[in-house]
Amino acid sequence: MSKMINPYRSIEAEVLKVTTETPTIKTFLFKPKEKLTFKPGQFMELSVPGLGEAPFTPSSDSEIKETMEITIVKVGKVTDEIHKLKPGDTVGLRGPLGKGYPMTRFIGQEVFVVGGGVGLAPIRTLMYDLFHMRDKLSKLVYRGGCRNPEEMIFRKELEEWMKRDDIDMILTVDEGDDTWNGPVGLVTTIMDGIDLNYSRVKAIVCGPPIMMKFATFKLQELGVKDRNIYLSMEKNMSCGFGKCGHCRIGPYYCCKDGPVFTYDTIREFPGIWD
Amino acid sequence: MLFIKRGSLFQLLESLAGDYRIFVPSRKGDSIAFTAFGDPEEDYVIGDVRTFEPLKAFFFLGREKVAVDFSPENPRNDNPPCIVGVKSCDLKGLKILDFVFIDDEYGDPTYMKAREGGLIISADCTAVAETCFCTALGVNPWPEAEYDINLSPADEGFVVEVGSDKGQKIIDDHKALFQEATEDQVHTRDHNRTSIKRHVEKNAQNKNIPQLERLSRIVKKNSESDVWSEEAAACVECGACNVICPTCHCFLLYDQKCDGNLARYRIWDSCMVKDFARVAGGENPRNRLWMRLRNRFEKKFDYFPAVANEIACTGCGRCIAACPGKIDIRQVLEKLNASR
Repeated sequence: MSKMINPYRSIEAEVLKVTTETPTIKTFLFKPKEKLTFKPGQFMELSVPGLGEAPFTPSSDSEIKETMEITIVKVGKVTDEIHKLKPGDTVGLRGPLGKGYPMTRFIGQEVFVVGGGVGLAPIRTLMYDLFHMRDKLSKLVYRGGCRNPEEMIFRKELEEWMKRDDIDMILTVDEGDDTWNGPVGLVTTIMDGIDLNYSRVKAIVCGPPIMMKFATFKLQELGVKDRNIYLSMEKNMSCGFGKCGHCRIGPYYCCKDGPVFTYDTIREFPGIWD
Repeated sequence: MLFIKRGSLFQLLESLAGDYRIFVPSRKGDSIAFTAFGDPEEDYVIGDVRTFEPLKAFFFLGREKVAVDFSPENPRNDNPPCIVGVKSCDLKGLKILDFVFIDDEYGDPTYMKAREGGLIISADCTAVAETCFCTALGVNPWPEAEYDINLSPADEGFVVEVGSDKGQKIIDDHKALFQEATEDQVHTRDHNRTSIKRHVEKNAQNKNIPQLERLSRIVKKNSESDVWSEEAAACVECGACNVICPTCHCFLLYDQKCDGNLARYRIWDSCMVKDFARVAGGENPRNRLWMRLRNRFEKKFDYFPAVANEIACTGCGRCIAACPGKIDIRQVLEKLNASR
């Protein structure tokens, strides 16, 4: 038996900035007191000292090493406490955990990213990396959706990306308003007619479970291979390293073996979309 | 082969008491439970059947502080445990826990420390409970591995086997307490082993437990079977089967403020409880009770064989004895086997 490190211990971090994205979503900028780096698709366990811990995927550029941003929806006990945080407050960060996206597999490939709802937060990290390696990708396509324009986090930044000429990008909302000029409808309605070689394309899907399910079925219908559909799975994860047993999917743990899985590896197991 | 008299064994334990926290089974009403060693009035039982509680409780505590503030230190620094009278079924359980908790990158520091420093003085079974079915899982009712010293009751004492360097050193350090075993004593041991094994095999046969090689397949094949909902109907989600199981390892991390510090606790969790797999957004992949019962069986008979080449049921029968709904793992397996 080897050296003892304590995998349960969090690193102290300071809240530098809090940005309100929507009435229920905030982005927090943290400065860890020790070196902490991550890759797109990996996640962190964030704790409010003494009050609880929960898993989140960073939303910032993984090449920024000094700080880390995490975008969080208020949905329960821990996120309620997180939403009360102010600049100067202390939090705990544990990680990075999980395997993240196999970025090298995207080299030379057409990459088709489908994002939905607050899934746009982790996809932002992935997009930064894809932009960093853009000259190595043969094509980059993005289709994003969310309920309404008000809930579209990072809207300004997304609209900046849309102006770039190295990406084919369309956003949709389920329900428009007077600020919205784009298409209205589910993300699956804007996935047709793209100039892609669907039988070879690498598709990356991240969003709420119901959106991931139907986006996956749509990709299959378009001819995308199950082994080329990269899903960012959300399961109940407590430890984050394959010991606590909560996030089992067949022979895998979502935390340790994922949270990014290709569809072919998990399609046979019950409850993957729930 | 060595032999130690019962009185000499207690002298040995007294001598080890400075280095270890020692626990020995003793009779508590109808059952046998691990008890802190040292009370001369205690009715210690070394042999007989498995204890009421599983061995895991000494290496993976029900509730344990695993981190304080932002310190990387392991908050635990008491003496390692020395557990006496450990049964073969519990040692198989320990193999599963070792697989889960010992690893280079994310090993559990408290578990690894207790395993590394701990001492296991196991014992043969000399009695059989109605719920015992270890032989159906390929386990013999006497320890064959994973122990430091094994004791086989015979002739007002124990025939001694050594299972590790650590065990050998303890014997070498206390040579005067041991003597050579006689042929009769060894014969008593062997005779007991054969007769207890036969008894457990008969138990298992009476319950029609499917053959070992079939267990993984029948659980996997029947993932949509009605057996799950039929059997889950009696479950009250108390989680007794989980806490009493020598291989159940699921836990949750719980943060709290404690004496002005921040403390993180590792607490046993139960996969039979509704919220076990529920995510904060509300989705629950095992929303129905039958799905959770199926998950419990899949974990033991499909997941562990796939990742660790080991079925995570030891045949100890504790879950049968503990279940207020009288769900019987032997009967579930029999029904799955019969269902096509």
